[in-house]
Amino acid sequence: MTETSHTVKSYEQELELLRNIMARMGGLVERQTSLAVAAVIDRNEEAAIEAPDLDPQVDELEREAETLAIRILALRSPMAVDLREIVSALKITGDLERIGDYASSIARRSMKLDIADSGISLTGLRSMGRLVQDNLRRVIDALSQRDRDRAIEVWQADTAVDEFYTSMFRELMTYMMEDPRSITSCIHLLFVAKNLERIGDHATNIAERIYYAATGQMLPAVRPRGGLAASAPSRPAE
Amino acid sequence: MTASPALSGLPGGLSLPQNETHRPMISVRNLDFYYGEHKALRNISLNFPERCVTGMIGPSGCGKSTLLRVLNRMYDLYPGQRATGEVLFDDRNVISPDIDLNRLRARIGMVFQKPTPFPMSIYDNIAFGVKLHETLSRSEMNDRVEDVLRRVALWNEVKDRLHASATAMSGGQQQRLCIARTIATKPEVILLDEPTSALDPVSTARIEELLDELKKEFTIAIVTHNMQQAARCADQVAFFYLGELVEVDSTDVIFTAPREARTQDYITGRFG
Repeated sequence: MTETSHTVKSYEQELELLRNIMARMGGLVERQTSLAVAAVIDRNEEAAIEAPDLDPQVDELEREAETLAIRILALRSPMAVDLREIVSALKITGDLERIGDYASSIARRSMKLDIADSGISLTGLRSMGRLVQDNLRRVIDALSQRDRDRAIEVWQADTAVDEFYTSMFRELMTYMMEDPRSITSCIHLLFVAKNLERIGDHATNIAERIYYAATGQMLPAVRPRGGLAASAPSRPAE
Repeated sequence: MTASPALSGLPGGLSLPQNETHRPMISVRNLDFYYGEHKALRNISLNFPERCVTGMIGPSGCGKSTLLRVLNRMYDLYPGQRATGEVLFDDRNVISPDIDLNRLRARIGMVFQKPTPFPMSIYDNIAFGVKLHETLSRSEMNDRVEDVLRRVALWNEVKDRLHASATAMSGGQQQRLCIARTIATKPEVILLDEPTSALDPVSTARIEELLDELKKEFTIAIVTHNMQQAARCADQVAFFYLGELVEVDSTDVIFTAPREARTQDYITGRFG
């Protein structure tokens, strides 16, 4: 993006403030997501409580971003890269807020989860959680640096998250068929997996917005798919 | 710096009606312009598509008004100013010496920054130019005056005082009268040099609304310092800097995703 700054300094400061709000939101939802994964995988109760506690801060930042973006649109009549950045910020903060909600939902669900003696393996979920966290971290880095190349990487990496979800679905289905007593736990875990998959989707949306803000071009509506996902549906029928 | 080939297939922006073909009404090719020794335009190539509004933007002294003044040879009025290259209009080079300037300026009309009504009645302001080019009966002239005043949405405001002095009108009305006077000679192209910079927002909106109507019939080129105005009115926008055409593209492309860094810096307010 352009290195030069606005002739009107207060305009530049407002854009900087908007970026700063997004960065703070990004940091919070990244933390919420990692707490949520720890709550499920490591049975960390403190994490399960802390993740939803961060929600009000995220919501407040989203409102601040929206107010500021509307103010800039009204008062500055932004054009070109500025216009793209501000409109993208409105959408990105919406995605970040949803990510926070999904993370809180996972954390709350972890408290209802009882899999101690069920023999259900969390290996797949652990890997999925790691991948989603990794994508989220990278997209938030790309956001702060307005780095379109990294945004494309995250955009492409979401295919692997979808594949994880498909395999989790099959695995949990098998547990449920084998032992109906595991159904409650498996349903909870399935929701956890689904929420992680949704977090991945929102990270992808953010990547698309970063790319648009940086280049003025929209990424294609459909991601090019390869490997397993090319022949199999990425999600089970719902 | 090369301009996009605006003429042979305008860039597929949303602003341009895609189902119509817009042939170039005026085609500028490799135009240079000099004020004495000073070169004010450098190798400009730009098309003005038929029945489209072309907005010309850029900082003061970038050459946009100069280009406008070349299109109908206004510069001829001043010694020491000369142009080289081609400005093709109806298969003829506008800047060649054998062009009939009166005829040219009737076909390519111009409206200036400040309203310039003649110190005569509203009616005569319109009839004066028409009489230079056509011989109309009284009733034909009456019809012509009414027609153009209706088209600039001035008729209802002035129909009861057509023979009152034009200089008593408000600034916005005067500017609309000047546009009426310009279209009364049935031009093909209308050039507007910052036509609303001296007007209040309501009068400005009226002129902009008028441009939307006029472009159904005329090819329009407008120089403006008001970026929002270019965004609102133009189908394609050309950005000039230091006598060069930096970029021309459909309006939505210029204002959402311009290709040139200099265009972006200018329209986002990052210049200098």
